[in-house]
Amino acid sequence: MAAWVAYKATQNVRTFVVVGLNGLTLAGLYFVVASGFTLIFGLMRVVNMAHGSLYMLAGFFAFELQDRLTGGEATSAFGSSEAGVGDWVLPLLGASLAIGVIGLVMQQVFLRWNQGQELRQALITIAISVIIADQALANFGGIAQELAPPSVFPDSVNIHVYALNYPFFRIFVLSAAVAVGLVLWTVIQRTRYGMIVRAGVDDRDMVSALGINIQLVFAGAFFVGAFLAGLGGVLGGTMISVDKGNDTQYLLIALIVVIIGGMGSLGGAALGALALGLVDSFGDVYLPEGYTNYSVLLIFGMLVLVLAVRPLGLFGRPA
Amino acid sequence: MTLDRGLRWGPGLLAVVILALAPLLFSDFYLSAVITKALWLGIAAVSLIFLAGYAGMVSLGQVALYGVAGFTAANLVMADGGSKVALNPWVATLLGLVAAVAVGLFLGAIASRSYGIYFLMITLAFSVLVYFFFAQVTQLSGFGGVNNVELPSIVGNPLQEPARLFYIALVVSAVVYVALRYIARAPLGLAFQGVRDDPERMRALGHNVPLLRAVAFGLGALIAGLAGILSVWWNTRISPGSISLSQTIDVLVIAVIGGLYRLEGAWVGAGVVSVLENWLRGVDLVGNRFNTVIGTIFLLIVLVSPGGLVGIWGSATRTLQSRTSSRPAGDTAVPPNEGGSHALP
Amino acid sequence: MRKPGEGRPSRLWILLAALVLALAATAAACGGDDEEAADTGAAATTGGGEGTGETIKIGIFANNEGPFAPFEGQTWGGAMLPLINRGATPVSDDPTKGVDDAVIAGHPIEFVYGGSDSTPDKAVEEARRLVEQEKVDILIGPLSGSEGIAVANYSKEQPGITFVNGISGAQDTTLKVRSPNFFRFHNDGTQWTAGLGDYAYNELGWRNVVTIGDDYDFPYSQIAGFVAEFCSIGGNVSKRLWPALGEEDYSSFITQIPEDVDGFFMGVGGTGTVAFVKQYGQLRGNLADKIMGGIFMTDPVILKELGSQVEGVVTAGMTAGDSQEPAYLEYADALGAAYPDLEGTASSVFAYGYYTAMEAVVQGLEQVDGDLSGDQAAFKDALSNLELDAPLGTIKLDENRQAIMDNFLQQIVADNNGDGVPDVKTIKTIPQVDQTFAGFFSPDTPSPDRTNPECKKATPPPWTKQGGGG
Repeated sequence: MAAWVAYKATQNVRTFVVVGLNGLTLAGLYFVVASGFTLIFGLMRVVNMAHGSLYMLAGFFAFELQDRLTGGEATSAFGSSEAGVGDWVLPLLGASLAIGVIGLVMQQVFLRWNQGQELRQALITIAISVIIADQALANFGGIAQELAPPSVFPDSVNIHVYALNYPFFRIFVLSAAVAVGLVLWTVIQRTRYGMIVRAGVDDRDMVSALGINIQLVFAGAFFVGAFLAGLGGVLGGTMISVDKGNDTQYLLIALIVVIIGGMGSLGGAALGALALGLVDSFGDVYLPEGYTNYSVLLIFGMLVLVLAVRPLGLFGRPA
Repeated sequence: MTLDRGLRWGPGLLAVVILALAPLLFSDFYLSAVITKALWLGIAAVSLIFLAGYAGMVSLGQVALYGVAGFTAANLVMADGGSKVALNPWVATLLGLVAAVAVGLFLGAIASRSYGIYFLMITLAFSVLVYFFFAQVTQLSGFGGVNNVELPSIVGNPLQEPARLFYIALVVSAVVYVALRYIARAPLGLAFQGVRDDPERMRALGHNVPLLRAVAFGLGALIAGLAGILSVWWNTRISPGSISLSQTIDVLVIAVIGGLYRLEGAWVGAGVVSVLENWLRGVDLVGNRFNTVIGTIFLLIVLVSPGGLVGIWGSATRTLQSRTSSRPAGDTAVPPNEGGSHALP
Repeated sequence: MRKPGEGRPSRLWILLAALVLALAATAAACGGDDEEAADTGAAATTGGGEGTGETIKIGIFANNEGPFAPFEGQTWGGAMLPLINRGATPVSDDPTKGVDDAVIAGHPIEFVYGGSDSTPDKAVEEARRLVEQEKVDILIGPLSGSEGIAVANYSKEQPGITFVNGISGAQDTTLKVRSPNFFRFHNDGTQWTAGLGDYAYNELGWRNVVTIGDDYDFPYSQIAGFVAEFCSIGGNVSKRLWPALGEEDYSSFITQIPEDVDGFFMGVGGTGTVAFVKQYGQLRGNLADKIMGGIFMTDPVILKELGSQVEGVVTAGMTAGDSQEPAYLEYADALGAAYPDLEGTASSVFAYGYYTAMEAVVQGLEQVDGDLSGDQAAFKDALSNLELDAPLGTIKLDENRQAIMDNFLQQIVADNNGDGVPDVKTIKTIPQVDQTFAGFFSPDTPSPDRTNPECKKATPPPWTKQGGGG
């Protein structure tokens, strides 16, 4: 596969560069979403099936907020009216925080008292996602919407490689993802809280026995995980769109990234996101013509490969 | 004593009578749209329950597996769409089942070393991938699916003669149920339960645990495949929408509502959900939000009674028995304690 | 879990019994037995006026789930309008609640609500529920492409019921299925592109184009129409791109459009239109010069999102929002008056399609005085021969009960009426487009798909310059 891509790449380097960038920027978005998911599972062993629903809700909330802030201007005719920096940052923060709180409430009400019952928790979060999906359809409609980035952001930039223009916002998302990754990594590796989280991932009972208020740690981690889903939702909603199919789509993405990378591992999430983003983009373009719709099989194959060699993911560890 | 007898045999006899006479008791539409549907959905759900309850593998891939069987069979007969390899419908059915089992064994092998919630995630991911595969590969299906699938002559026209398909589904359900109960007590089934309870010990005893799990999954795939074939006969078509994530969740809801550990729960749940969905569509108050209603019911059941409706009935009758007689509350199947990632709630 | 050897038949009986008891109870309550299904009590029905004849039940269904759910209001608004024009009153501002006092030819009309989710399975389930459980006499629907094919197939099983299409646009629904009691009173998706190939070749001078559309049957139909016309007069389609349905990230596909192509036909629909246009603008930037749009680009809701970037783009469709014909203005005003939320949506195909369906049904009923006896033979006959004077032109049916009607070539221009949304100007009317495109399509030609129809020269359709029209 790599050889085939390389061969095609030399044929048309411009396309290769664009597609490669597409893959990288997608990977960035996927990483932001999956990092929250893997954090929640790694620490609390909760598979949050509503993670995709949170992503989607954040997009809708942000869109509504932006709609009100700009009086419906920025969200309708793109390119022809101004969305100030505040008109994007406020929805970004507002929606992400709201989703973080929703996630926290969900955890406190539904998941706190049945810790350890993983299947039950998975079922609960599935039920919640069904309800959210239906209510979102009722309240936000079925048509895809888009968030407008701040108009100070140019539409595209010249990346000085083959005189290509590339959408600026996608590059922004990639940088944001890298920033998120760095922040998470720093917090986890260098702060006391992060140390507790790491210990909790390794041995929850021991941490509790040491007198640390494990419930507080969990609550905080769940909030952060949901917040990240929300952040991803707003970024994705601006980069691509906000759509009611997003909940299934991004749950699948989070699952795949984490299956490949391993539960509870940030580095694994980064690797998994890269793998998925690149395969997604390259598959669409470089599969032989007439077979581009088989790109799903590539993803499938990738999963099979990883699971055959490492059943717990590349950096996964057993419970 | 009489009450006890009544509880044991009365409802059962009533059930048998009603089911046997169903085509006379219910309208054609109801027989076909609700009851027959409940039967094949029940078969799909029982494959999930069997894997979950007896092998400790909660799989969200059963719908995808029945999709594999269904799409394979649909592609191999005369139809609108698909690859139109016009084989005999029975041959196509057989090949569909073979395909489902093959894919099931393959998936089972890949996921055989993953347990608990991790296993559930993998099956879910595979399930959505299968959906996208059939949605995108237009040579085999595409979004519009395969329509007007040619059916075996014994099925006739499900719309004009619904009783035929009803009896076929009934017989298949009965056979599957009896077969699973038998397997559960056979050495293979005991091995599955051993793997469910303590894989380490099973390995120490010399069993090939990954193989056992793969085989269990393949068996589940066979049963799901039967449901898939029946669903194609019932619909006379199959499309990616038939195996979407919402269908997977529907089957999960059925299994949970019915009760994740009792084989009978599959059909109880399927019956309840089918009847409910048919009824709710006409209720003004609910309008379009029946998914919210189903989701809420599902949530409530998971929160309140992990044993589902069957569990509720079981406790109710036990309470009744212990109040009206001196018999001690029976040796009910108690779910094992939640603990490590290998056990069930 | 069960311990070995625990088998207790009693539990089996108990549980089977529970299932069946539940079934029996609810079945009895919901009219599931063999008698005539009584009113199911909670069914969503309205209608029925003071007429003296037997009540006629009409079922209507669009999508209440899935990607087209937001258009449900428009479909019902259009469907209710013919009754409102004849004296019925809307129950509320919500069109899906129906109307009261609907009487046609002395027969009270009762409406039954249904809804599906754009998948064929649910559409047929819903059609069956309406026909077999609710016992409607006439069914109007469905909405989406693949649903239409499935429901048309089902209609063959119910020869005594008349099915009239809602707005589902796949070509096969009438051209291939040819059910004797399934009628479509609007153009199919292929016919909606009539005039574009001619314009591209003769006006814009395009010779080599690429097409891009979602990978499912409705875009197949749209692009098939364009290819049929463009190629039959000599153009070439060098590449056809098919992003997966639901794919929102079009960047990889945009990258595959060769930079030296004359133009491309954009068949990405619905929710993807906006995403695609935006991403194209970011990657290539010269959108309006190179793009030719399908039906979706003129939808008022989408146009609001697209804005000025698409000024100059030419598209085509079966409605002309800027028509000044008195009949059209009357229709648009009446729609806005009856349902204020639908103000401005008169040109939406969802409203217009369901409007023409219901108008045809009403006129057919009036012609036969509401006589639906003998498997509705007289009524079906009346429909087949109906010449409908619709607000945007006459509609006749061909031998497959498929509409032959005008198509409108349109261009998106700058906002004239100050509502902040670009306007749509009709630049040409293509008269009486037939489904076969002058013989290019027939029941024997392959259904439109990723590679069909082939791009080849053929008899030019009569409305093209090469065919003697233009």
